[in-house]
Amino acid sequence: MLERTACRRLVLLWMLAASVKAVAADRPIVELEIRNHLFHPAEILMPAHTKVKLIVYNRDPTPEEFESYELNREKVIMGGQRAIIFIGPLAPGEYPFFGEFNPNTAQGKIIVK
Amino acid sequence: MRHRRPEYRGQTVFLSITLLLAPGISLADGLVVDRVYDPYVQPLETELEWRALVVQDDDNPALDGLQVHRLGVGYGFTDRWFGEIYVIGSDGGGEEFGVEAVELEAKWQLTEQGEYAADWGLLFELEKETDGDQWEGAATLLALREWGRWVGTANLAVGYEWGDDITSEWESELRLQGRYRLQESFEPALEFYAGEDYRGLGPIARGSHRFSDARRLTWEFGVILGLTDESPEQSWRLLVEYEFF
Repeated sequence: MLERTACRRLVLLWMLAASVKAVAADRPIVELEIRNHLFHPAEILMPAHTKVKLIVYNRDPTPEEFESYELNREKVIMGGQRAIIFIGPLAPGEYPFFGEFNPNTAQGKIIVK
Repeated sequence: MRHRRPEYRGQTVFLSITLLLAPGISLADGLVVDRVYDPYVQPLETELEWRALVVQDDDNPALDGLQVHRLGVGYGFTDRWFGEIYVIGSDGGGEEFGVEAVELEAKWQLTEQGEYAADWGLLFELEKETDGDQWEGAATLLALREWGRWVGTANLAVGYEWGDDITSEWESELRLQGRYRLQESFEPALEFYAGEDYRGLGPIARGSHRFSDARRLTWEFGVILGLTDESPEQSWRLLVEYEFF
């Protein structure tokens, strides 16, 4: 019984390692900036059915949170830093996002075609 | 030879872990129904949490009517680590309600959301009973995978109990949740829990409401029905979480 349990744990660790290695290196990269509590650009085009690496640079000194229920993403970006957000694969359509700390100004949308 | 895409390989990993470990699991003999954790951490976020569990079981007077309440306060120290401290109270199944334990919890987000086929995290817990020398430590593997609007989450915990007033033993728990992201204010889900003498399955509803200044209230409510004779017939669970920065 102990050997069976030990084997299971070894297999689990092996599968975890295999999962971490399975990275697609050639994902499209899209860059987004936060300046004066606004997203630049406010509209982003992305290819359909493709996973995209979104790099968000926060040029403001204060933190901001990239938030979107439609994208199922939520990420705090500290002031003066950047964050990486993986998005998709998505079906064609429009996906709004906003900055939760400044929701009235920091708004944008991803257009997937 | 046909190569498997990374996404499918990760999916296989996620399902394999569940299937591999579920049948032979040797689990906690205590109360298994709790919450299913996601692997994510938000820096600077403060969280106030109340969890309640009410057990109903006509065949087991010791458990029938038992209430367990947890009050917690947590904070996201970095974009990878979140810590929380709980006070746990119980009426002990008919006894007077009182504080029974305190718990420290640390969540470690291992991967970025959406980076791999599944998102991974680890949860570490240390609990101390207020009366007597009883300790419990646990490490839990957290995994989450999205299929469009569907979200599958698995928690696999391995723990150890020790102390002068308790028989030392290893324990493990499995918690699974399948959730449909219908809308932010209401998401239906199905949860499964497994313990040494416990198997339970039941519906859960959850929702969130946003306030100004990045404040948010999240709730979860549902009932887990025992699937075996040894399992309590009904375990009602409620979670209320208030998050702010």
